[in-house]
Amino acid sequence: MKARWFTPIVFTVTLLVVALALATVTNNYFYTAAYIVLQFIILATAWNILGGLTGYVNFGSAAFFSLGAYSSVVMFSLFKAPVPLAIPVSAAVAGLVGLGAGYLTLRLRGVFFAIATLAMSEVLYTFVVNWDYVGGARGAYIILQDDPPFGFSNHTQYLFTVMALMTAFAIAVARYVETSRLGRGLAAIRDDEVAAECSGVPTLRLKLISTTVSGALMGMSGSTFPYFMQYVEPTSSFSLSYSVNAIAMPLIGGMHSWAGPLIGAILLGTIQQIVQVTVSSAWNLLIVGVLLVVFVTLAPDGIMGWFDHWRARRRRS
Amino acid sequence: MTRKHPRLAAGLHSAVQLATGLLLAAGLASAHAADPLKIGFGMSMTGPLAGNGKAALLAMEIWRDDVNAKGGLLGRKVEFVTYDDQTNPSTVPGIYNKLLDIDKVDIIMSGYGTNVIAPAIPIAMQRKMVLMSLFGTDVNAKFKYDGYFQIMPNGADPSLGLVNGFFEIAAAMKPKAQTVALVGADAEYPHAALEGARRSVKNHKMKIVYDKTYPPNTTDCAPIIRAIQATNPDVVFVASYPPDSACIVRAANEVGLKTKQFGGPMIGLGYAALKTQLGPLLNGMTSWELYVPEPTIKFPFIKEFLAKYQPRAATEKLDPLGFYLPPYAYAQMQIVGEAIQKVGSLDQGKIAKYIHANKFSTVVGDVSFAKNGEWAVGRPLYVQYRGIVGNDLEQWKQPGKAVVVWPASLKSGEHRYPYDQNRK
Repeated sequence: MKARWFTPIVFTVTLLVVALALATVTNNYFYTAAYIVLQFIILATAWNILGGLTGYVNFGSAAFFSLGAYSSVVMFSLFKAPVPLAIPVSAAVAGLVGLGAGYLTLRLRGVFFAIATLAMSEVLYTFVVNWDYVGGARGAYIILQDDPPFGFSNHTQYLFTVMALMTAFAIAVARYVETSRLGRGLAAIRDDEVAAECSGVPTLRLKLISTTVSGALMGMSGSTFPYFMQYVEPTSSFSLSYSVNAIAMPLIGGMHSWAGPLIGAILLGTIQQIVQVTVSSAWNLLIVGVLLVVFVTLAPDGIMGWFDHWRARRRRS
Repeated sequence: MTRKHPRLAAGLHSAVQLATGLLLAAGLASAHAADPLKIGFGMSMTGPLAGNGKAALLAMEIWRDDVNAKGGLLGRKVEFVTYDDQTNPSTVPGIYNKLLDIDKVDIIMSGYGTNVIAPAIPIAMQRKMVLMSLFGTDVNAKFKYDGYFQIMPNGADPSLGLVNGFFEIAAAMKPKAQTVALVGADAEYPHAALEGARRSVKNHKMKIVYDKTYPPNTTDCAPIIRAIQATNPDVVFVASYPPDSACIVRAANEVGLKTKQFGGPMIGLGYAALKTQLGPLLNGMTSWELYVPEPTIKFPFIKEFLAKYQPRAATEKLDPLGFYLPPYAYAQMQIVGEAIQKVGSLDQGKIAKYIHANKFSTVVGDVSFAKNGEWAVGRPLYVQYRGIVGNDLEQWKQPGKAVVVWPASLKSGEHRYPYDQNRK
């Protein structure tokens, strides 16, 4: 597919699916569950830009997600900011923090970089817990008293639509990064950073772009969270489960293309949503763990990798 | 015949219609009566509050069985639809939307604790459902929802009501306590308690000499206690969750804390697990409790409830005493059940109005609600642990081990101070 057609097609398909859902589904549970799955698609896609395409494992996804959420809280507290205004601000704040964190930590590699991102998450958590303006440890409330805009019947449907559009945007960005010169540079860094540097790839600049874009998308995914919950508190928003899922979903879907995180997030996110209300929530983590073990051992390149191998074998035969 | 006797025909027609109508109505009524009345909620079955969540669920199930044994509510059998909220607020919107949209429950209750109650309120507001909640601290302050009710007995100003007794005890000491050290975990509940404590200290004209928080996962509390001791306060107030409650109590004993009064609303000291684990280390402390078997505490039916709860809790390996959360979990169901029965329907507006307007006789005593859904008049207990020997559980079922020193109306003994001389 030609690159210039990809974005319009993604947005058109998204709008059609959203319109179909709004026309046919009336129960709010669908929109709530779909919102969570879409949120994980963005998180996984964002993680994959740094983790999958660049090869730098980020354990601090929850911190960027929370940065987005708390930026919205600040915007709402200051200006009663509506969702469309909170989103770009949250993305900008998380992107800037991504840039700064990247500048400070990108000299570290492998496990040391991963630990640094985890540490950054703890630092931000402590900061938020002690910042009374955003509720500190007690959490912050965003009370939505007005009716949702654009004629939506309730806030859940409105936020689902916004989240779907943000997901389309995140996928378009991920596809662009992957197929552009930037993506080829990132792939060179992932394969061998020293060799890439020697070949004239501006590694530091590309890595900083990668951390910024990844951080901004993660922040964007968290930007609507306070409006969705109408309450946000640090323990759950900085929960390690966001970081673990953001890693597990691309690992399961495949880390070398934009489609991997999408498939992984849909698969894992949907299973988690179903299991939560059918079997038991406790099974959620077990399922993530079992799927990770299965994929790491049987299909280390994820579903997309397995699919590519299968196609290659078919072509050979 | 019908042509000849049109009036007879019309009469017959009406009779047939009436009979058919009655039969249909009877059929519908019996089908309706057969439909269970569904009560739905999320509860912490996993996560940090799982122990309490499971105990609360057991208490609620005991109520359900009691009610069903008496014929149910509105002639319908009561059924629970529950999901594990993992003690995680982000699961709450999904759970409550599923309960209302897919499971079609008639009544919703909250999970346990502020963090999971807060995200349920917007959904209850949107659907205009009554939400009876289990141990949230001042959650409705921002929402101001008139269908919200809360069962923890801290009163209409929950942050202050929770701690005021502690400082009234301190103010009654002779000479009156002058200096106060405040310490708590960096978490939702301790922050609420500390906020109330600062207000109460100001009201009692005392001076704060130490006011700090610590990370909730702190495992060595001795440096905290030493730092507090360095300020030599008359009173040490602690607001903590179970793991750090144990940590602080151990550290106070290790360091040999010297002060007149030590304790506060430390969650966990009401559980059998911590009571037996800490045993004599609790002696001399002034702590917040919700029920203790003192002769002055005469809640109706509490003994009957505990007689049902304790054997089942022992079998299911839950809190074997059940003094903290279970009676209140049962009481909230009693209130909702009585309101439904008295209103005679599931009209949420009428149920909310009824709960606001009436006093309820429950296993935790008489309960009536203020406009914000909290207890109209608070009734937390402050007790002083005394004469605890070893780690035996049975001693906690006897009076005299957790002596009520506040409020005056329920007092079963005088507060003994200083703390360090009553520790042994």
